[in-house]
Amino acid sequence: MSTVILDPKHAPPFRDAVLPVLRNPMLRKNVAHATQVIQSKRAKLLAEKADWQELRAAASAIRTHVIENLGAYLEQFEERCTAAGGVVHWASNADEARAIILDLLRQENATEAIKIKTMTSAEIQLNPYLEKAGVKAHETDLAEIILQLGKEEPSHIVVPALHINRSQVREIFSRTMHLKDLSDDPKALTAAARHYLREKFLRVPTAISGANFLIAETGSVAIVESEGNGRMCLTLPRTMITIVGVEKVLPRFQDLEVMLQILARSATGERMNPYTSLWTGVTQGDGPQRFHVVLLDNERTSILARPKERQTLRCIRCAACMNHCPVYRQTGGHAYGSCYPGPIGAILTPQLMRMEHAQTLPFASSLCGACFEVCPVKIDIPAVLLDLRADVVKIERKQMKRAFDLMYVGLRVANALFSRPWIFHTTQWFGRIGLGVFTDKDGWIKWLPSIGGRWTQNRDLRGLPKQTFHEWWAERAKGTK
Amino acid sequence: MRASLFIACYNDTLFPETGRAVTRLLERLGVEVDFHPGQTCCGQMHANSGFRAEAFSQAKRLVRLYERDETVVVPGSSCVAMMREQYPGIFQEMGSESQRQELAEFLPKVYELSEFLIDRLQVEDVGAYFPHRVTYHASCHGLRGLYLGDRPFRLLSKVRGIDFVPLENIDRCCGFGGTFSVKNAEISQAMLTVKLHDILSTKAEFCTALDNSCLMHLGGAMHRQYAAMRTIHMAEILASTEDCPAEALA
Amino acid sequence: MNGPVQSRQRILGRICTATQAVAAPAGHLDEAYVAVARTYVRKGKLTRETCLELLIERLREYDAEVVVASPDELPAAIADQLATTGKRVFAAPAGLPKQWLAPGFDWKIDHQLSSADIELTEGVVTAASCAVADSGTIVLHHSPAEGRRVISLLPDWHLCIVRASQVVETLPEYFDRFPKAPALITWISGPSATADIEMTRIKGVHGPRFLHVIIVRDEGTPPIQRALTSAVLAR
Repeated sequence: MSTVILDPKHAPPFRDAVLPVLRNPMLRKNVAHATQVIQSKRAKLLAEKADWQELRAAASAIRTHVIENLGAYLEQFEERCTAAGGVVHWASNADEARAIILDLLRQENATEAIKIKTMTSAEIQLNPYLEKAGVKAHETDLAEIILQLGKEEPSHIVVPALHINRSQVREIFSRTMHLKDLSDDPKALTAAARHYLREKFLRVPTAISGANFLIAETGSVAIVESEGNGRMCLTLPRTMITIVGVEKVLPRFQDLEVMLQILARSATGERMNPYTSLWTGVTQGDGPQRFHVVLLDNERTSILARPKERQTLRCIRCAACMNHCPVYRQTGGHAYGSCYPGPIGAILTPQLMRMEHAQTLPFASSLCGACFEVCPVKIDIPAVLLDLRADVVKIERKQMKRAFDLMYVGLRVANALFSRPWIFHTTQWFGRIGLGVFTDKDGWIKWLPSIGGRWTQNRDLRGLPKQTFHEWWAERAKGTK
Repeated sequence: MRASLFIACYNDTLFPETGRAVTRLLERLGVEVDFHPGQTCCGQMHANSGFRAEAFSQAKRLVRLYERDETVVVPGSSCVAMMREQYPGIFQEMGSESQRQELAEFLPKVYELSEFLIDRLQVEDVGAYFPHRVTYHASCHGLRGLYLGDRPFRLLSKVRGIDFVPLENIDRCCGFGGTFSVKNAEISQAMLTVKLHDILSTKAEFCTALDNSCLMHLGGAMHRQYAAMRTIHMAEILASTEDCPAEALA
Repeated sequence: MNGPVQSRQRILGRICTATQAVAAPAGHLDEAYVAVARTYVRKGKLTRETCLELLIERLREYDAEVVVASPDELPAAIADQLATTGKRVFAAPAGLPKQWLAPGFDWKIDHQLSSADIELTEGVVTAASCAVADSGTIVLHHSPAEGRRVISLLPDWHLCIVRASQVVETLPEYFDRFPKAPALITWISGPSATADIEMTRIKGVHGPRFLHVIIVRDEGTPPIQRALTSAVLAR
């Protein structure tokens, strides 16, 4: 089992992080299979949805409008939620959020909590913090239990355990649930999880959740799920604590008519996910009687301040981008070193880290644009990647890092070479001679030293032809051929 | 009609035969081709690596170079995508008002090759003859940056003698991605392996595309692996006739 | 560490600075909201009859059992559905119409039943507030006839009574019908499911594994033919 810790502060550079993954055929097979399944299901549904592009346009416009007016909508949400019996807390960063949550749990004398899957809690590394403080947080999402019991890390934001196959799940469940004779049939494994969780749902009085959407107009919270563990956690306990990023708010109830149509289609390739729940504050006699919302900033307001990067916050965590990403398809999520992997992770993680960490993630892309094409809220991920690359270069220049990095130096030199035609042409001439040394009789180069070696480690390079195009043109113009 | 050719730095240096084919093709179609010897690079490599200032210095040179031309033709979808997608932002950030004005006048002049043939010359049958089994890879820049759509297919379908085989997962990235192919060489290779599998499954003799950057990457692997296939830029197929077959066939 | 008030002020202050160039001026937020263009389909185009048939088809795709009954036939249809289960103990919301409590079964009416008691029931019967044909979604607003949320969650078998007049075609039509959001809503589109293990879809994780629906032909509803296949429904 992997020993990956998903902490952007300590994650290896992307190029190194992918190596063990690329050498793991089972993981690559699982990731390719999972992403292909969702891709195909989504494509089929989109073919029948005549107004898909119109929905995308509206979703993008609504999310943009919210983000541009975030303050007003958050205040409205706070007011309505409070009026309905909820308590709203504001956390500037991960430390504050964790402390608030622990404090609330202590007020309940809670030693346990049941959790609905939320990447936001992984972002602030909540579970280990609570464990250290003596509170056991029980994941209830099937994938999350698999990860929690198997001491694994998520590799996808919708299907977090897609890198784990059935026999691995069987092993984890048999061992931790003390089950003999457990088969590896997914039906049996799911039944085991259902049984294991039932007593927790009925017993544990405190729940922690995230939120898919907050509705400003009504002060409501919406949770979108498939399994029903969400419904269990938001109905049975006495106290509910919801942690959510400040950007997750929608202006009005009616806006769900757009978001619910695009979310399930994008995330799981379904017209609608099995269960969507909405609650507003506290309702006498039905559900938790104590309800707290923790609004998390954690650098979202920094992202908000940058006009070109701001679109990152439109994200509704559907994972369509990573389902279609040809890089993610080969690597899965762990290589990104963050609970947010794939294309969205490549732009979100470095920004949440104030560009101080995860600096190789913006380069972990061939800029193919598949993510932008499928993003239901039209985040131009390639454009943001390019912006972040420029940011990283600016930072590295200031820090004088990379002064001796060949790629870096090479690019600076290349610019000088392109600046004047005669320099460019002279370089081509020298290049022809220099590379000629490495060119075989058949006119191809099979090995190059240093940085050129990264090309030739797996590809040949055709040698430089005897004449550049411009030389040919000049000759032709002179009348000789 | 006149058209000024922007050959692209890598074509000039590594694939001059593509430039020769474009010239031959356009002249055959009655276009007078110009070529500014002072051209170098569009700045894509630098822009994609985060070296915006350097990219701008190349970009503004390029835009100025074509001041007096009415039409610019580029046999490389990634260069055209660079100009349309990134130049505006870079000129906004670093350029003067007059430079932005120059850019605004420059962009409408620029055509990727298949755009020029279909949209400007309004021709699908360019009189080509290429009796070989060919498959076509849709470069990401052409597909998603330029929305080339069915233009390449329309052109290829009219090539006499061609045995066209569709490519499965045609829209999946080949893994080149510019400096990505070197910066993240191993993942680039993994993507290449998967793409090559689809391409080789077509049992075509040639894999074509509208961008030599992808073809350099694919073709380099084919050559290394002694695969029974070669790469060829579509311009060279379209320029090929009975009397004057593509240089690659020699 | 910041106190609660400081954090709130800090965050809102940062938001204000970050968005001052783009935020709607004070008092003009609604204008800006309404200006957001919406060109997606809001109203469906199907006839009432085809719409109901679509709902039935979508529900059956989820392996829900669907039967249609007239208002007069309803109590018998309910009894019928309950009888097929072979079960005896059923939960019912406090406000469920008395005529729906079929005789011969052990009814546990939810006057704040404990979870333990609900766990002992074998099924539940509820009304609904709306159904969306396009996605096969049943919407519960947890009114007295629909019951508290727990009552349609813990039992393994759920019979939902949906009136034909409650059925809309598209999701936006649901929001048109209910512009004012109820405090509690559950949208149900099939039994619970997971694909977390190797993308193998397993139905029925938590929540009722069996969903049965009776569509009641309100006044003015035409007779419903056999459910059409999706291929016939060209949009």
